[in-house]
Amino acid sequence: RLVRLAPASASAPHLLLRLLTPCLLVLSFRSETPNVFHFDVFVGKIAFKGRAAAFGTVCWGLASKFVISNSFILDDPDLKDIDPTILKHCHAAAATCILEAGKQKADISAISTCLEDCKLDKERIEQFCTEYQKNKDALEILLGSIGRSPLHITDVSWRLEYQIKNNQLHKTYQPSYLVTLNVENSDSGSHPDVCFSCTMEQLQDLVGKLKDAAKSLERATQM
Amino acid sequence: VYLLTESSKLMISDIDFQDSIHVLGFSDELNKSLLQLYLDNRKEIRSILGELAPRLPSYHSLEWRLDVQLASRSLRQQIKPAVTMKLHLNQNEDQTAQVLQTDPATLLHLIQQLEQALGEMKMNHCRRIVRNIEITLVLSY
Repeated sequence: RLVRLAPASASAPHLLLRLLTPCLLVLSFRSETPNVFHFDVFVGKIAFKGRAAAFGTVCWGLASKFVISNSFILDDPDLKDIDPTILKHCHAAAATCILEAGKQKADISAISTCLEDCKLDKERIEQFCTEYQKNKDALEILLGSIGRSPLHITDVSWRLEYQIKNNQLHKTYQPSYLVTLNVENSDSGSHPDVCFSCTMEQLQDLVGKLKDAAKSLERATQM
Repeated sequence: VYLLTESSKLMISDIDFQDSIHVLGFSDELNKSLLQLYLDNRKEIRSILGELAPRLPSYHSLEWRLDVQLASRSLRQQIKPAVTMKLHLNQNEDQTAQVLQTDPATLLHLIQQLEQALGEMKMNHCRRIVRNIEITLVLSY
């Protein structure tokens, strides 16, 4: 099937979606095993010309990335009779379908309609939908956590100290707080903590500002 | 200079200072003017020496902003509130600003923990120690 390629400025995943959409509408293969349903992925077969050739490589890369781990599909004893290439294609297509449904927060009726158009029988549609329903919340949480954000504060620890002397100055007699903010990076996971010292007045200022933020949060939820 | 910095560092009393310089064998008038010099500049010298001590970046101020994430590339139709903050710190006369983010639950936890920290200063344990140290300070004069 021929697809109008999106303009060169479109993002690769967007392109991939547009290419895969007709795949969801194609006739499904007659399956030999009742547990598997097939879609055919055309990405590898469409000829990309000129500037779009680069997109072709990216798209195929993305499509094969959907096969997150080949081993768990290929090692499954129930599936060993099927040609591995077709298995990979099926997995990629199924994963794309699920991710799109999750992203758009599609409800069961929309998914069923889509699958019906692909000429899947009722029993399979029901099975797919039940499984989807079971894992829907986990999927949404996972999708929601993908993305960039500034360093995220996870915890705080503090220490109250009373300085008596240091090598430059004796008899300093100054209480101060040492505050450590444990932070996490969305990409790499951990990050060196943010440490700083402050006097009691400064800490009071900090807590006051945090309380203002919390109050405005409360007001926003009541709107 | 060394005399003044060492004396200011140790925060010695007038009598101790006088006793110390007496061994140098200067005239009484010189001793008196040295003492006066010491007492006049002690505070300033101490504050300058205080800057030399090792320390962590110190708090300067905090700016905050309330954000709600409505959608992202991987998930549409979200409602995810977050508080974005800019923490200004001073490190040896350089000001650094760091952008941080937190969710509402962690924000409330932070407030609770830091309020507990503030409360510690007012607790008896802390008060007793501070008082004891201050008494020692007074007695040492």
